[in-house]
Amino acid sequence: MPSPFLTPGSHSSLDQLALLHLRRDHAIPTVLCLHDEDNAGYKEGKVTTTRFGSFPHSTLTDQPWGSQIGASKVDTGSRRGRGPQKKNHKLKRKAEELDSATTTTPGDGDAPQAAVAASSGFLHLVYPTPELWTTSLPHRTQVVYTPDYSYILHRLRARPGTTIIEAGAGSGSFTHASVRAVFNGYPSDPSASNNTKKRRLGKVCSFEFHEQRAAKVRQEITEHGLDGLVEVTHRDVYRDGFLLQQPKTGPSPKANAIFLDLPAPWLALKHLVRHPADGSESPLDPSSPVYLCTFSPCLEQVQRTISTLRQMSWLSISMVEVNHHRIEVRRERTGLEYERIRGAVVFPKDVDEAVVRMRQVEDHSRKYRELMLKMDDDETTPIPPSLAKKTGPEDKDLAASDIPTYKQGRLVHRSEQDLKTHTSYLVFAVLPRDWTEEDERKCREKWAPHQVDVVSNEKPKGKRQLKREKKQAEEQQEGQKEETADAAAENA
Amino acid sequence: MHPYVRPNQFLAFKLPSEQTRIQKIVPNTEIFLGKYGSFPANQIIGRPFYLTYEIHETPGDANSKYLRIVTAAELHAESLITDGENDGDDLELNEDGTPVRTNRETVDDRSTQKLTLEEIEALKKESSGAGRAIIAKLLESHQALDQKTAFSLAKYKLRKERKYMKRFTVMPLDVSLLTNYMLEDREAAKTLELRDELIGLIGCWGNVHHGGSSSFEETIAARPNGRYLVVDDTGGLVVAAMAERMGMLYPHDGDDEEEQDAAEPEVPEGEERNEEEEPITNAAGRVHRRQMSAQGNTITLLHANKQPNLNLLKYFGYEQDNISETHPLYTNLKTVSFLQLLDPNADTIYAQEPPVVPDAELATYKSSKRSSYHRKRGRWMRTRRVVDEARTGGFDGLIIASMMDPGSILKHAIPLLSGSAPVVIYSPTVEPLTEVTDLYSTARKNAWMTRRRELEEQAEQESEDPEEISRKVTAQLVEEFYVDPTTLLSPTLQTSRVRVWQVLPGRTHPLMSGRGGAEGYIFHGIRVIPRAVNIEAAGDPARKRRRLAKQPEFETPTETPAASGDVEMTS
Repeated sequence: MPSPFLTPGSHSSLDQLALLHLRRDHAIPTVLCLHDEDNAGYKEGKVTTTRFGSFPHSTLTDQPWGSQIGASKVDTGSRRGRGPQKKNHKLKRKAEELDSATTTTPGDGDAPQAAVAASSGFLHLVYPTPELWTTSLPHRTQVVYTPDYSYILHRLRARPGTTIIEAGAGSGSFTHASVRAVFNGYPSDPSASNNTKKRRLGKVCSFEFHEQRAAKVRQEITEHGLDGLVEVTHRDVYRDGFLLQQPKTGPSPKANAIFLDLPAPWLALKHLVRHPADGSESPLDPSSPVYLCTFSPCLEQVQRTISTLRQMSWLSISMVEVNHHRIEVRRERTGLEYERIRGAVVFPKDVDEAVVRMRQVEDHSRKYRELMLKMDDDETTPIPPSLAKKTGPEDKDLAASDIPTYKQGRLVHRSEQDLKTHTSYLVFAVLPRDWTEEDERKCREKWAPHQVDVVSNEKPKGKRQLKREKKQAEEQQEGQKEETADAAAENA
Repeated sequence: MHPYVRPNQFLAFKLPSEQTRIQKIVPNTEIFLGKYGSFPANQIIGRPFYLTYEIHETPGDANSKYLRIVTAAELHAESLITDGENDGDDLELNEDGTPVRTNRETVDDRSTQKLTLEEIEALKKESSGAGRAIIAKLLESHQALDQKTAFSLAKYKLRKERKYMKRFTVMPLDVSLLTNYMLEDREAAKTLELRDELIGLIGCWGNVHHGGSSSFEETIAARPNGRYLVVDDTGGLVVAAMAERMGMLYPHDGDDEEEQDAAEPEVPEGEERNEEEEPITNAAGRVHRRQMSAQGNTITLLHANKQPNLNLLKYFGYEQDNISETHPLYTNLKTVSFLQLLDPNADTIYAQEPPVVPDAELATYKSSKRSSYHRKRGRWMRTRRVVDEARTGGFDGLIIASMMDPGSILKHAIPLLSGSAPVVIYSPTVEPLTEVTDLYSTARKNAWMTRRRELEEQAEQESEDPEEISRKVTAQLVEEFYVDPTTLLSPTLQTSRVRVWQVLPGRTHPLMSGRGGAEGYIFHGIRVIPRAVNIEAAGDPARKRRRLAKQPEFETPTETPAASGDVEMTS
């Protein structure tokens, strides 16, 4: 089964993970399913209930990805035997509780009823990506977020065809991001086996020492169609190293890149060498450099890690931290004309407006004083209505309403309220290939070490070469003329 | 992956001065590294990457040059020794707790170094130990060396090493290195000051990845995966970064890790330039590669000029004027100009079909004339196919790093995306992106939906043809709103920056200086397909009631999912 993370196709389909996007940073992951044995209740089959309405899976399946889906009228009350209730009663529950994907389904046999559209409420159906998954996954441990993992994978040179070791699978956020980075075809792909050239398929070897977490990640991997691309091993890597299946004797993953999200990465480093001391096979790819990244929140961890890396001959050691923030964009409306408009600041927008306003106030109080004087003279005179009325902003209201609200004010940006000021320190290092005297000798035979030809300027040579190639091409075309002509005729 | 240095490949030398030098490694040539010396290229071909070498030679004998691999232990010697001595804390203290050595007595002039410039020059000519002898001599003849604190001694030594050590490290040339090279050593403006960390972010938010092998896909879905639309004004850096993520940047991508002892990959025969369309299978069953012919896992580049600028791809073996047919990008990188996209018939190459010449007549042509005929036919057919394909749309992602106004690109590019496809825009400055974010603000979405309803009611009174209604309404809406704000979900603006630290025993701190200039910002959103009919949003009615009770004077025209979002750009 293709994974919706990697090859989602154009439509949502049954038994695939889909994300129900409610708003930014809030999407509900759900496996699309018409019937489900889990729980009984809804007449419409499996239903996901959100704060924006209820969505029977029959309305979500086989839709183009990215579609806006309207909510349906679902009787959420009677299934619990409490008698028919209005939807609104249910909605009084805390929103978070509601959004936690209370999916329930009818029991035996009954064909699900067709869904009836509700009058309001919608969501967007999108295919899962590691980024969306990272924000919506069930947290089991601290999560490696997008700004960190994007940089880590880039620096680890995790590219299609790479094998990457991940220790500390945790909540699986990095697992999903790295499998996308190394993916270059499914292992079951028939074309790969037909291919005469052996093509190395990208793979993630994930290790987790917490048994339940390992099982949970494994289950997610299966649900997400990533079997064969991710291999989850329950293992204490400090003690037992990184060989697959069996600690000392298992096959080597032949990793090109390693990510260690462990409390004490220096304890795992002894296994990540070209020639392990205990004589077992090295988990590293012998034919390429190996890139390493460790992820530690404290400086002390970093110092110990780097000290160990130096002792173990890792090179290009560097340490960085990633500072990331999101930016909020809004229209800031300041001015006296924005009275009674929500979110606007009623304050003079410039000196002119302030002066005009103060003149008005001065004027008003002068008139008022005059009036009071007059009133002293003539006690019976009431305050004239023209003065009693505040100098309102009616005239300016008209001016402001010419511009639609979404264009009013000045466009400003600022950092979002909640800032992550520190996630972890990232240590990067490279271990080059092994290079023996023997390898060097072979290379010297192939490439004479002191041979330096006197080369003429390259450019004229390039042109000549071009001409020669062209001539050759023409000659060969002569030979293939008939074939080509036939094909052209077919084309036409 | 980079198993070993291949002949005629570009690679990078990291010099003791921290500078990077990019060079093509041609066999049987000499490689010059400025003041750090020169050496024959053959001595690094076939060797692994990331090794550091020292250039050794007996003065006067050109054939005596040899490279010595500097071991990791040697490179880390200093920190390992300090580490071993006193676990990091290497301030030597007096009995009263004050440091033994401070910089109190240091005289800040040149008189402390007893070697004259002439003597140093003479040393450089004679010495053989890859510069080590000079440094030893310099330290020896430094009068005030014993006054230096451990920190300043380390710094002094480092400074001299940078100047005199004949060392270099061989690095594979990849996107990450090229990005830093363009930023630090070359003109950063040419790549829009794009930083390495932002390339990572662009790739992730853009969901750029290998599309899987197409043969399998055909059985699953009719649509090939991994078709990306790109606007790139960084000279090809963004295209290179995407190609790297899609596994088609390096000419040897895919032909796997065969060891160099094995035979060199033979150049596939029968690959001569033949520009007629339709793959022709020759006797051996090999399918001819046609330029820009791939279906899945492709990049379609939209460019503003007649020719795209993909200069930087030359470092990865993709020469724009003379594209190697074995390079993966030959088939998988397609280029379409904005003119071809918006008004193809105004483009000469697209619109004017070269007349078809009957075979009989073709046979009488001289070979040069015949090949030029084939080339022209081929170019026309290719342009037709690529442009039509682009105009059909259905792309899986849109990545923009352009000097043009991003809003104007989105206006034409978003309709070409399939649903759920990510949109990512990079800009060195934040202002263009705040404007884009504003184009897709919640306030605008609400206004758009209200206005559409109004216009539809209006148009229904005037006409009964639904097509005409929708055409009229759309024209009016686009005039007022410029782009349809309901087609992009959760527009987000962000920036990221890495801070580099020095980690040495007892001397750990962030680097003191770094590069200023453009910060670099990323805009991201998801393409969605709004319903043809307006759907009222539902909120949590309890919350709505609460809010309305507080502010009875305020009413939103339509309630949105982000019930609290009036001016916030959430959705």
